[in-house]
Amino acid sequence: EAKSSAVASSHILHSDGGEMEPETMEMKSVSEYFTKMHLDSVMSRQGGKQREADTC
Amino acid sequence: EEQSFHVRYRMEVSCLELALEGERLCKVGDYRAGVSFFEAAIQVGTEDLQVLSAIYSQIGNAYFHLHDYAKALEFHRHDLTLTRTVGDLLGEAKASGNLGNTLKVLGRFDEAVVCCQRHLDIARDINDKVGQARALYNFGNVYHAKGKSICWSGAEPGDFPEEVMLALREAAEYYEANLAIVKELGDRAAQGRTYGNLGNTYYLLGNFRKAVASHQQRLLIAKEFGDRSAERRAYCNLGNAYIFLGEFEVAAEHYKRTLQLARQLKDRAVEAQACYSLGNTYTLLQDYERAIDYHLKHLIIAQDLNDRIGEGRACWSLGNAYTALGNHDQAMHFAEKHLEICKETGDRGGELTARM
Repeated sequence: EAKSSAVASSHILHSDGGEMEPETMEMKSVSEYFTKMHLDSVMSRQGGKQREADTC
Repeated sequence: EEQSFHVRYRMEVSCLELALEGERLCKVGDYRAGVSFFEAAIQVGTEDLQVLSAIYSQIGNAYFHLHDYAKALEFHRHDLTLTRTVGDLLGEAKASGNLGNTLKVLGRFDEAVVCCQRHLDIARDINDKVGQARALYNFGNVYHAKGKSICWSGAEPGDFPEEVMLALREAAEYYEANLAIVKELGDRAAQGRTYGNLGNTYYLLGNFRKAVASHQQRLLIAKEFGDRSAERRAYCNLGNAYIFLGEFEVAAEHYKRTLQLARQLKDRAVEAQACYSLGNTYTLLQDYERAIDYHLKHLIIAQDLNDRIGEGRACWSLGNAYTALGNHDQAMHFAEKHLEICKETGDRGGELTARM
């Protein structure tokens, strides 16, 4: 790999070997959990009604 | 019994309301206030263990963003214990990921690797491609940080001890494995992050052509998203790589874009860094007038920010540039300033150089 012999990086650059990208932290959301719970309960209620209608 | 149910119901509602407010505050970046609400939610209590896990996790993340890593570790550990106790695999994977990131920042790389592996194993078991990609990215970050932590002082990229090179090669492999998945998923944002860190890894490995190729991809994706901070990072990293390729004019062009973006983003510290890099690049190009111009800009910002180390560096560089121009009075002035700052900051190496 080509490399300049005249340059000492420690004298040229501030950054220690490049600026890194941010870490990705995992998210656990209370609001999303409740939205999902709510949707699940609505779906199961609708499923129940559908089954009742099917049996009529 | 009805009364006890009513009390429990009220508690659940209060806990939920407090947690939702904590969540809202963290989303807008007010982590301190967010933590207060989450802690109040814990005080009230909940019997819903999914909610409790989400609260622990978000407090852990809030402390992580506040750079209080000991506290972050404490809450991510609570979350891990809870998810394991209730057998919530997806929750355990997420807790392991967060714990791994925290341990990495604390320099506890061996423990971080164990957490990353658990994150990856669960994601594979439940066939969660997104989780697998995220675990591989975290793995790459751990090995990259480990490599940098072992030996940094003075050595040039590509010339580190074998142990460092081994860790960096490992990091590159994890980033490449991550890229294969995020490309398949079409996740451009994730690709951008990985290209950025992969570029830095190739740079440290001394493979500057590959570093440039990765940072160019990072730049392209940053532009797609209009992410100017990422764009600025990519320009700066590209400038650094071109310096090592001996392409100083190209490096200068990239540092100039870094400087423009730093000014647009009103980031004074980065603006100072870009001026410093430009000053050094023009010194390499033997254009000492321009080098002085940028070093003076760097000096002014360093003084504004009360950054004595930066000020010392600027004075040292100015001393050299004035010497090259034959202006010995100015060269002596800045050499003396440099010596004074080195004494004040306890920089023995700098002090010895200044006395020469």
